[in-house]
Amino acid sequence: MSVEVSRRKFLQGSVALSVAGASAISATNLLSSEHTSENKSTNNRIPSTMTTQTSTGDAENVPFLCGICVNKCAGLARVENGIVTKLNPNPYFPKSRNMLCPRGNAGIQTLYDPDRLKYPMIRIGERGDGKYKRVTWDEAYEAILNGTDKFKGLKQILEEEEDNRATIAYCNGEGLSKEGFEVLVGEKIGSPNYVDEISICLETTLGGYVNTIGTYGEADLNNADYVVIAGANRAEAIITPDTMDMFKRTKGRGLKTIVLDPRFTNTAAKADRWYAINPGTDLAFVLALTYVVLKEELYDKEFASKHMEGFDDYKNHILSHNYTPEWAAKLTNISAKEIYKTAREFMAANSPIYYQGRRSVFSKNDFQLRRAMAIFQGLSGNLDKKGGIVYGEKLQLPKEDINAPMYGQAESRFDKEGIAIPSLKTGSWIVLRNMVLEGKNPYPLRVMLMRKHNPMSGVPNTKKTEAFLRKMDLNVMIDILPSDTTMFADVILPEASYLERTSPVASYGGLEPAIVQRKGAIKPLYETKTPEVIYKELAEKLSKPLWEITKKFDEDVQDDTEGMSEKEIEAYYEENGFNLADPWEKPVHEQNKERITEAFGEEAWAILDDKGVYYPNIDEYHKQLNPNEFQYYPEHKKNYTTQNEKLKVKCNLTNLTKKGVDSMPTWHDDYEFKVPAGKFRLVTGRHAQFTQSGTTNNLMLRDLIPTNYIWINNQMCDKMGIKFGDTVEVKSNIGKVTIMAYPTNKIAPNQIFMLHGFGGSSEHMEIASHNGANDALIIEDIIEPVYGAAVMHETNVEIRKV
Amino acid sequence: MARYGMALDYKNCINCKACEVACKEENGVELGAEKHRIWVGGNNPDGQWPLLDIASAAFMPSQCQHCDDAPCEEVCPTHATYYDENGVVRVNADKCILCSYCMNACPYDARYVDDRTMTVDKCTFCSDTRLARGETTTACQNTCPTKVRTFGDLDDPESEISELLRTREHFSLKSHLGTNPKLFYLT
Repeated sequence: MSVEVSRRKFLQGSVALSVAGASAISATNLLSSEHTSENKSTNNRIPSTMTTQTSTGDAENVPFLCGICVNKCAGLARVENGIVTKLNPNPYFPKSRNMLCPRGNAGIQTLYDPDRLKYPMIRIGERGDGKYKRVTWDEAYEAILNGTDKFKGLKQILEEEEDNRATIAYCNGEGLSKEGFEVLVGEKIGSPNYVDEISICLETTLGGYVNTIGTYGEADLNNADYVVIAGANRAEAIITPDTMDMFKRTKGRGLKTIVLDPRFTNTAAKADRWYAINPGTDLAFVLALTYVVLKEELYDKEFASKHMEGFDDYKNHILSHNYTPEWAAKLTNISAKEIYKTAREFMAANSPIYYQGRRSVFSKNDFQLRRAMAIFQGLSGNLDKKGGIVYGEKLQLPKEDINAPMYGQAESRFDKEGIAIPSLKTGSWIVLRNMVLEGKNPYPLRVMLMRKHNPMSGVPNTKKTEAFLRKMDLNVMIDILPSDTTMFADVILPEASYLERTSPVASYGGLEPAIVQRKGAIKPLYETKTPEVIYKELAEKLSKPLWEITKKFDEDVQDDTEGMSEKEIEAYYEENGFNLADPWEKPVHEQNKERITEAFGEEAWAILDDKGVYYPNIDEYHKQLNPNEFQYYPEHKKNYTTQNEKLKVKCNLTNLTKKGVDSMPTWHDDYEFKVPAGKFRLVTGRHAQFTQSGTTNNLMLRDLIPTNYIWINNQMCDKMGIKFGDTVEVKSNIGKVTIMAYPTNKIAPNQIFMLHGFGGSSEHMEIASHNGANDALIIEDIIEPVYGAAVMHETNVEIRKV
Repeated sequence: MARYGMALDYKNCINCKACEVACKEENGVELGAEKHRIWVGGNNPDGQWPLLDIASAAFMPSQCQHCDDAPCEEVCPTHATYYDENGVVRVNADKCILCSYCMNACPYDARYVDDRTMTVDKCTFCSDTRLARGETTTACQNTCPTKVRTFGDLDDPESEISELLRTREHFSLKSHLGTNPKLFYLT
């Protein structure tokens, strides 16, 4: 074997890095005033060492759902004397199948991160300078309502805006308590201006698939025999069960794997073939595959005639546009021969999958790319069946009724400029922000209520995000760490981390559906509170004062309540949902119990509460097959086929034409990949050891990847005199960053890559602060035209050694 | 009494390093990039973009090979390194004088210095933690997303590892050195 087995790990040790070791952590700022260090702990609920050897004594194993990324793996937290000493995988959850990734394992370091937000705080300095004062929870709520000498409160702002609730905007990060924040600010307080991670993530992927085949679906990689995985890096951006299923069968073991990625990723390392596709040209590749399949009549004819709507239109469209492999070769950097081969192999396979992908929007054509991918999958007929893209089933939870009040003075959302199909629910981060900065908002937007979201890192063009936050009269942040965005909050509310809270139950559908419950492994540390308690208390604080404002300005309410007695008005307030706190009357655990008992019975609740996972017949179905594998459902109970006759693949969406969107995926000349001489195309991505900016302060993970580097083609580096570890400046039209160079043969000479999430500016995150580069400072804020989602791979940059 | 070994379906490895983190958290291993009992070795692909040699970019999970004839044990002047009753190569920290002979003798580079105790540390197959509690998997095996590892008793013909080694082709690292490792890489 010629494989490297040395413990000297790649990228490590070659360059001296100023990464603080565990013993070097010091208490230097207000936010971190209650610190743990290697040798002493001021709080007996905090472990005295960074890593703790698990004991042989008594321990509780509390079922939790991981909150380190969006995937939600199930785990069991080992708790010894009130301290979490280890996170283990939970073998009962079919989605995560008894695994935790490196980030999941390192979650303990986030729980006990010395830099965590520990107390409510109010800004006493200027925005961004990190000067805060520790206050009580009530003082913090009071400041949100009535402001301080540094900032205005909600009451004054809503008075001035005459109860136009749309003056409040809010943003939210992914998670099990996300919905509650939407209930609080959206439905109860009445703000329509909501933005979240969707418009900087997978909006076009979801939209493209749902509009074409009715679902995003689940790729049954356990049973597929051929997969094209393009722009999805499952070895590094781990998604379960896909990652686990895929790599057990690559390398000649049943799943032929074709990887398309501009750079050579860990996924490419497991592939049978890797195509170094030009960024943003996947659509040309899929159109050419489609051309071959239609021209050579390799598609599943029976499936096409039964299930594909507008098939003849699409066939004519593809053939008449001459989307030949020869045409695509020039655009994609993939030879015609390879395109022919892939198309033919795909259709000859028993169970081929063109993997849907996820992640960010690559290019302006992303919606059409996903449509073309979904239709191509349809051509194979490998939908709604074993080994294909399946629809699955979901265990339905009882619907929760929210008594949402109507606000007559509230305007509607406006972030629609340049968007064909504006999303009413999740909006567009870039369009909302930019319209406000350009003064295009039809009414003043003055308040930003934020939770677990870091747009300073996540939304392209950080300078604009900062300007937007500075423009607000009031910013509130609920989070666990003092992120770059938190530093622009006027009031900071510290949330309990995912290991300290019981979360609302969640249902995960698919081939093997299940319901899961996260239970708090330990009580909230410091003065943190669980999100639902924060929602409740904030709602209680705001409810009556805001109701007074509504009564003053809302003519509908005035008409309704005219002539009513005080008591009748109080009843009206309750009946019509103006009591903002009513969704949180019962604690989460109690609500979970009621909902599960109602839907599945008491026994189901007992199982869920004990194991963290429930699905019908779990006791009978769940079996350990060997030390590494479990059966969750017997083969004949898996939901391979659920659609049958209902299944439709919509090739031609004629109603899109009215909106100015192509009804069928079409290539346009401006999609071509172009990089001016002397410049580079910036591509970004993920790594198995990091989840965006959320984990860059995690010491354990920092040992694995000390910083983000810029990947530059090695031969280009030779020409430019750049060596490993050299500092280079990367400059785009909107900003510049400095970052260390990593010369590599794994990227094209006209492209560069950097990991997303590094380069934080918050001084209060000691490990993350100013380490590496923040790509959002240089990625231009370009949107795609269908939903207004951020396009991440269309920025050209210059680089120079500094 | 058992004779513990491990089989590694190394082609499953995606170099995510979940094993390394699980090991550190389970066993209280010191933090630090160079402080680890297990690791994943990876090669950069040979060739120039875009004609890269995919096969050259394999990932190789590694750790102490728990050799039956361990050079580290042989050279230890204080008998700090020893075989425990299950054939696991262990270090008695009380006896270790940090002469580092063992670190030089180990052909697998499987040992490092724990700066907290100033002794040599290495993989124990979770003997003090998971095995001591009666669990049957190591932390690295249990957490692995692609299930690379199978730990078990080589003397038990009924064990999963015995079954794997009977039915799958496998090799050992640096077998020419005659160390007789108890880690087996499945092909």
